[in-house]
Amino acid sequence: MARSKKEKNFKQPWNWSRELRLLPGYLIVLIWIGFTATFLCWILGASFSTAKEIFSGKVFAFESGFHWENYINAWQSQNVAKFFGNSLLYAVTACIGTLLISAPGAYVLSRFDFFANKSLKSSLIIAMSVPAVMIIMPIFSLTTQLGIKGRILLILLYILMHVPSTTTYLLNFFATLSKTYEEAAAIDGCPPGKTFWVIMLPLVQPAIITVTIFNFLGVWNEFFMALIFASSAEMTPVGVGLLQIVNAMKYTGDYGGLFAAVVIVFLPTFLLYIFLSEKIIAGVTGGGIKG
Amino acid sequence: MVPPYFNERGDRKMKKNRGMILAFSLPLTFSLIIMYLYPVARTVLMSFFKIESVTSSMSTWSFYGVGNYAKIFGSPTFQGSMKNMGLIWLVGGIITLFFALLFAVILTSGVRFKKFFRAAIYLPNVISAVALATMWVQYVYSNDYGMLNKVLEFFGLDGVKWLSSDNKFWAMLLAYMFGAVGYYMLIFISGIERIPADLYEAATIDGANKVQQFFKMTLPLLKGIIKTNITFYSVHTTAFFLWTKMFSPVNTEASTIVPVVYLYDTVFGSMGNTGRDAGAGAAVGVVLTLIIILVYFVMNKVLKDDDLEF
Amino acid sequence: MKKKLISLLVTTAMAATLLAGCGNTEKPAEDSAPAETEASTEDEAPAEDAAPSETEDSADEAAPADGAANYDGVTLTMWSMWANTEPQGKVLQEAADAFSAQTGATVNIEWKGRDIKTIIVTALEANENVDIFEEDYQRIASTYSQYCLDVTDMAEAAGYGDIGFQCFVDQQKEWAGAFNSIAEQPQVGGIFYNKDIFDAAGITTLPTTWDEFLAACQAMVDAGYEPMALDDAYADFSLGYHLSRHVGQDVLGELSVNGGWSENEKIIKGAQELIDFVNAGYLESGAPGAFPESQNKIGLTEKVAMIVCANYVCAEVNNNTGSNINWGLMNYPAVDGGADSSNAYAGANSLAISKNCANPQAAFDFIMFLTSGEFDQKMADGASQIPADSRNTAPAIMNGTVETLLATQAPLKWNMGLSDNSDLGPQFKDVAIKLFEGGFKTGEEFAAAMDALY
Repeated sequence: MARSKKEKNFKQPWNWSRELRLLPGYLIVLIWIGFTATFLCWILGASFSTAKEIFSGKVFAFESGFHWENYINAWQSQNVAKFFGNSLLYAVTACIGTLLISAPGAYVLSRFDFFANKSLKSSLIIAMSVPAVMIIMPIFSLTTQLGIKGRILLILLYILMHVPSTTTYLLNFFATLSKTYEEAAAIDGCPPGKTFWVIMLPLVQPAIITVTIFNFLGVWNEFFMALIFASSAEMTPVGVGLLQIVNAMKYTGDYGGLFAAVVIVFLPTFLLYIFLSEKIIAGVTGGGIKG
Repeated sequence: MVPPYFNERGDRKMKKNRGMILAFSLPLTFSLIIMYLYPVARTVLMSFFKIESVTSSMSTWSFYGVGNYAKIFGSPTFQGSMKNMGLIWLVGGIITLFFALLFAVILTSGVRFKKFFRAAIYLPNVISAVALATMWVQYVYSNDYGMLNKVLEFFGLDGVKWLSSDNKFWAMLLAYMFGAVGYYMLIFISGIERIPADLYEAATIDGANKVQQFFKMTLPLLKGIIKTNITFYSVHTTAFFLWTKMFSPVNTEASTIVPVVYLYDTVFGSMGNTGRDAGAGAAVGVVLTLIIILVYFVMNKVLKDDDLEF
Repeated sequence: MKKKLISLLVTTAMAATLLAGCGNTEKPAEDSAPAETEASTEDEAPAEDAAPSETEDSADEAAPADGAANYDGVTLTMWSMWANTEPQGKVLQEAADAFSAQTGATVNIEWKGRDIKTIIVTALEANENVDIFEEDYQRIASTYSQYCLDVTDMAEAAGYGDIGFQCFVDQQKEWAGAFNSIAEQPQVGGIFYNKDIFDAAGITTLPTTWDEFLAACQAMVDAGYEPMALDDAYADFSLGYHLSRHVGQDVLGELSVNGGWSENEKIIKGAQELIDFVNAGYLESGAPGAFPESQNKIGLTEKVAMIVCANYVCAEVNNNTGSNINWGLMNYPAVDGGADSSNAYAGANSLAISKNCANPQAAFDFIMFLTSGEFDQKMADGASQIPADSRNTAPAIMNGTVETLLATQAPLKWNMGLSDNSDLGPQFKDVAIKLFEGGFKTGEEFAAAMDALY
């Protein structure tokens, strides 16, 4: 199952015997993707349909034509552009902030024994496993009593919310890096802190990007904290906006508009996801020095 | 100031590292303290008190001993929710992680259109779960127009009531797993991709076939990633919430209930019942946390780190 | 029109008389806006009424008899259970703007959606700046009462007795010992039916007893219709309605808390009736469906006649299926040897004033502004709901609901006591679904299944 990173670097000519060996793999993946595509098409179809068509199983028939107005309604019902702006701000800052805390933390936790190491690792697990509502409600109560509000609070909470899982995720990637990287750096006179930022961090790039995708989507789709802490329409991110549109459409029976709203929110996220995954440069760890 | 416990794996100059360890671990420690210490401690404390509202001030609490735990463990609904969660964890976990690993291996085996496939399989994670659940309930499982029943019809079979009370849980689990596979696949892929290619090249030269390579190399080298994935799957299982809400609208149904939904109903009341019991809710939270910790430690014992480095 | 509304603000006894005199006996005809046009009404609102009150600056206290209160500089913060995109939210915003224009008060609405249920207590406990909030009236009475003002005096001064539905006030006093919230969007339950099918099946008088009801069902089957739609989401509601007709809501509540179903003859009898009902084929062929599958068939096939639910089902079905069903409402039939069967399920989304509110009179005035007269009518029409002001007219789709509400002395709760056991509630629901799936052969079997849960 050797991953052929070379494939990425230059076009490989079709090698039929090789492709044939991979055939079972292709088949399984294609069947799965076939299902996904059907589902996606249904959602897309539903976004152009009326509620009646959705509920009578005629999503793919488009008997009454394409209802573009679903999109217009969904777009106009809320200040979607503003929501996107807010979400982008929250997601980007939260992703960066989380990484700035988690990556160095994961690095020292995974490569150095120090006195709080074990208890910190356990704390991460505890922090992840306590039901969110038990965390958010006391903080809501506390910040209200202290009169703390606004975007900064929300961003801070998003960062802190994702620190435990991000750190836990990165632990293993740092743990398996060869010691020789640090040794070589030390011989070259590179201070340990710098070694981390310049040498070790780039080595786990695939992991960083994967976890950033998770975090980004997590913040992008989040709505409960945003609902509580973003008190004005100015600060509302897309998650809350979507929730409101979805509720409004659902209770007024505008299911076409509901799916249109879902697609509107989904598209930029998906484009961003494609863009980010392009950045996963495999093979960074392939070279280097062997330990 | 800096205590002398640092004892790095190797024999490198410790002093140099101390400052870095401190500087690197402090922000993490502070994050945990700011965000989690107070709520977690409060939750643990609350679970031993009789309390109405999650955020009521401590002066209104009255000590209840293990009464909250007695209540939830004596409740058939909570027991049912734990059983459902157990099934989601075990059955769902095995299937989800199996497919996730399978796809990760296939996609890293040199297939073409890898990026496209990866994006497509991950796709359900990008779409709002509300839309996905509506799609499953109204389209895939629908009695009259549903995709599954259409398929059965095509083969001349009778339609099945996929959402009857007997089937609903499995229908929900299937829908959930379908979306979740891509997430864990991505983690597996990021783990496989950092295994150096020359290891495989060497193995191929030594005459190991792909299957042998997978069991002898990929799997052991992925041990840490598998642990991460099991940890994440466990955490996500205990936080399972939205799909139950989507599959049992208006009021919770026993067939699909999970502990967090039970917690919500207990803490905030349900339709037609305004009773609230934050103490019992906190007890549910504590139980969930203990389960995760247990899973984590058992897993660490079973899948021991053997300090693989590459 | 405006003067009448303003007069509601007046707090003297004289003003109350005056108010009775100019009560909304004639309809606010100009705003019978159909549901579809609510988007456009938003723009009209500010233009429609004129300058703010010209009266003196004695802000929150009583204003002179015929003038509008002047709330210049007063800011009210309201937490809404709707989103500003929903019809209800749009009317709310419109009313807030009109109220501002009239009184000079600023009304800030924060749209919290249905999650307000999870966060409002914390906000109230933490003294968050909330003056008015919207929630289920039962929860306000039993859960938030200690954080809310008692509005008895203000309501009396405003002549609320002639405006609202008394059953909600009585019920609140019973639960909380206080009158904390003004009903804004009342709901009523019962059997909602397609009048055209009843006509086609030759049912001229509405069945009032279970036997008459069965006969009506048979008439519908004979005429080629399917009598009853049922979705899993409302299985416990249907079961609760039927059983409560036998034993009453209180006994049902006790049973659900303590068990002992098998010992209760009436329960067994009631369950047997439902089992027979299912076996007779009176349920629509796909029932119990996955919400909203079965209820949608009322609109999609127009062959399914009835559903046991609350009034919002009418708008839901019409919207979801693009149909225009000729809806009617009948009270759930009485059974032989049963309990009082005149009452119906009733609930309401209501408005309450927080104890921290600095200007309670202004808040109350805004609430009345919203729940009576012009804006209440707009709310009812815009969102296809029952008006909170009993003098307003229900939209056509809600025909008969106001009468049912006025006839209800002691409203039934959601699930009629089956929800009293918060812990076993989800289990009851499963048993209810099983019952309607035909999973029990006899009433005894059902009762045994219920008892097995304890």
